[in-house]
Formats: sequence, C-alpha cells, structure tokens
Amino acid sequence: MNVINVTSKNRQEAIEKIIALGGEGIVRCIQCGACASVCPLARTGFTLNCKKLIRLIQTGHWEEMIEDPSTWACVACNRCTEVCPRDVKPSEIIFAYRRFQAMELAISTSATMSQMNLYMKGHAVFSEAAQLRQKVGLPPLPPTTLSDEKALKEVQTLLENSPMAELGLF
Amino acid sequence: MEKIGLFLGCNIPLKAPDIEQSIRKVFPALGVEIVDLVGASCCPAWGTAPSFDIDTWLALSIRNIVLAEEQGVDLMTGCNSCFGVLSEAKHLVDHHPEKRKVVEQKLALIEKQYKGTAQVYHVMHVLYKEIGLDRIAEKVKYTLKQLRVAVQTGCHLLWPSEVMQVKEQNPFYPTMLKELCEALGADAPHYSKLESCCGMGAMRSTDQEKSLSLAKEKLLCMKEEIDPDMIVTTCSSCYLQFDGAQKIFRDRGEIDFSIPVFYYTQLLALCMGFDPSEVAALSQTPREEIISRIQSKARMVKED
Ligand code: SF4
Ligand code: SF4
Repeated sequence: MNVINVTSKNRQEAIEKIIALGGEGIVRCIQCGACASVCPLARTGFTLNCKKLIRLIQTGHWEEMIEDPSTWACVACNRCTEVCPRDVKPSEIIFAYRRFQAMELAISTSATMSQMNLYMKGHAVFSEAAQLRQKVGLPPLPPTTLSDEKALKEVQTLLENSPMAELGLF
Repeated sequence: MEKIGLFLGCNIPLKAPDIEQSIRKVFPALGVEIVDLVGASCCPAWGTAPSFDIDTWLALSIRNIVLAEEQGVDLMTGCNSCFGVLSEAKHLVDHHPEKRKVVEQKLALIEKQYKGTAQVYHVMHVLYKEIGLDRIAEKVKYTLKQLRVAVQTGCHLLWPSEVMQVKEQNPFYPTMLKELCEALGADAPHYSKLESCCGMGAMRSTDQEKSLSLAKEKLLCMKEEIDPDMIVTTCSSCYLQFDGAQKIFRDRGEIDFSIPVFYYTQLLALCMGFDPSEVAALSQTPREEIISRIQSKARMVKED
C-alpha cells in the first residue's frame, strides 16, 4: 500500500491552488453532505463526488486524483450549489479541479476532440448535418460560425489568446 | 417582447434540427419574431473552455451574448447546457468587475463591446413568462385531452436558480413545463423521480453505463408510476438521451416498451397544426403513431 503523508503545508498549497482555479468556496465547507445527497455522481457510484473531492483537497491531497475521471462526469447540474448551506458552490470546486487536470492534459480522447472542433468549426459538438437539416426544410448550414468565416476567425482569435493555446490541442 | 435572438448551440441545429424548425415555427405564430444571431458559436460547452480557463469561457460566452445586444434583442436558447453556460457566464461577469474588465480586454481583440443590455432566456421561459399559458392555449388546433405526458425539465433550467431571470418556485418540484403541457390539454401527473438527472452530457461521454443507468431508472419510474403516452422535455440533451437510450435498452432486451419523446416546442407545433415532417421528423424511438393520433380529426378543436 502506498502511504501518502500530508503536511499542513500540503493542505495550504492545495487550498491555494483550488482557489486560484475558481474554487474559493472550499474554505467554507463543513462536510455536511447535503451536496452529495443530491449529486448524480454520488448516486451512480463514481469514485469522487463534490463532497469527497472537497475533503481530499482540504486535507492536502492534490496530485493523487489527477487521473480520476469522476470530475469529467459531473453534469454541471448545480444541484450541489443550490443546496449547500455554506455557499461553497461545490460545482465550482469540481470545475476548478478539472481545470487543473485539463491544463495537465489529464483528459479523455473525446474531450480532446471537442477542443479541436471548437477551434476548427466554432462548435464543440460537430457533425455533418446538411442532409438532416434539409430534410426538415432548413438551409444546409445554420447561421453560426459554420457559415460565417469572419465569426469563426473571432472565435479562433479568442482561443489563440488563451492559455488553452499552449496545450497543442488545436 | 416583439423580437428575440435565437441562440442555436450545437445539438439542436446539428443533431435535432427538427427541434430548431419547431422553434422557428411556433414563436412567430405566437407573436414573437425570431432574429438569428449570425456568427454565433458553441456556448462554449462545459467540457471545453469552462473546464480549462475561466476567462476564455467568459469571453466566448459573452461574445455570443453581444451578438444579441448588437441587434437590440434578448437572447433565447432551447438547449439547457447553453442556457446554463451563458447564464452563469453573464452572472459572473455582471457581478465581478474584475472579470468584466478581463472580458472587455479580450473582446477588444475582436472589436466587440459588452454593454450588458441583453438578457439570457430559455425557450421555456419565453413561452411561460412572455407569451403565457392563455395565448398558447388559444392557438391549440389539436388538443391533447386524455393523453398523459411525463415531463422532464432538465437540470440546467433549474439550478443554480441564483443565475436565472425566470425561476421556478421550488426547483426541486418544478411546475412550468407541467403547466405548459396542461395548456395543450394534456395530463402531466407527478412521478417520484420528476427532478432527477437523465445522465446525458458529460456523464454519458465519461461512463456510458452509469449514464444509461440514470436514464433507465427514470424511464422505469415514469412507466411504472404514470404510464405516459409520451415524454416531453425542454432540454435537447434529455431529448437525445431518452430518445436514444430507449433504443439501446430495447435492442438489449432490457425494456419491452417504447415511449415517444418530444421536445416541448415540437409537441406545441404539432398541436398548432404544423407539418410533422418538418417539426418532428427525426427520432430513434418511433413517434409516427402518436403524431397521427394527435393530428386527427377527433382531436381538432379549431379549424384553420
Ligand atoms: S453541501 Fe456545502 S458544506 Fe455541505 S459538504 Fe457539500 S460543499 Fe460542504
Ligand atoms: S454539479 Fe456536478 S458535483 Fe454538483 S451535483 Fe451536479 S453532478 Fe454533482
């Protein structure tokens, strides 16, 4: 068994990191469990859910969960944020941790594909739809970045001027 | 509200364009003109920029909202994920001056300016709040009397209520969609898993079986408790999940029933007499039979 020793320095660091990534509410969590009681991740038995992730970070664990895909299954439903009595915004902690994972490229192939689609098409979910659209009486392309080069260029400019551009995903 | 900007997102225009068509048909017929937000992009989806970098997310979302502002209209979307992403982005930017500053700087790169004048609505909100149940009921040509529907509002229309312009009284016991279905004449009884998650979206792409288990639990609950003639949802993701998952369960021999699924505006369009080959033409779970039952002489309450 691997034993991981955590010190108060680890705890401090983990909390600072999650705050920097958008999870400032973590310091208020009292582990009451209200969030997990309504969380679809908890319901379906993922290794991590909002409450568990928060506890691990509060106790100084940071790198260990990097490969765990649970955070990527979070449906961003915000049930947790609605019920939390301490205004922790647990969904934001999940997303903050995801940002750490993402910027370290601990992401799935399908997630990689979405970033490419977003950059190339302006649509993260992309499939050829001309036939389907015409079948129901719509023009082959929707009036989005798919039919507007200038608009697509704008989206690309925003992405190129983002830390995401350094990851080599597009 | 005479006009509103339609934000399409990805799933509706590319996977379920009959939903797009149903939105384009019903709103003008109810007195609200639809304006295209030309050049709009992905909201961006939760699994993209919001999962990497907050500021990039906010800039992309706000750019989409600016497209509505530039035309002097509010924005409306039929996709719950888009609604969640855009509402949360707007809420963050409007309540955090330092975020607003960052976004303004990013938008300057593409010569866009954010004023904050356009609101973000969901299709359901505009139908319920702006158009209203009475005006909808007046337009019904085919009534849904004695048909029972299971309603599925979808997570991002309910939580976090803090960021929404239009709120349910109790998001864990939502009633707007129920009332909208009742306005068409249908019964929309309560079932115990009314507000539970369908499992679509990020969970589906991360762990298909866990995701399907949520859909199945909910489907079985609907079937057992209220045995609906159809499932009606205001979320395009829930629509894709319930429509597609039923086929998977049937192919696997896990269920022996089939419940047609409609996005609310598809059902509304059918009740208003629009052509099913345009507004409800693409599905994996068959809908032909219920559609011909809906658009039948016996249900006609109004001539053209
Ligand atoms: S509901 Fe809030 S305080 Fe309670 S465990 Fe979850 S995050 Fe912590
Ligand atoms: S937002 Fe994510 S963590 Fe929160 S309840 Fe929903 S699935 Fe669970």
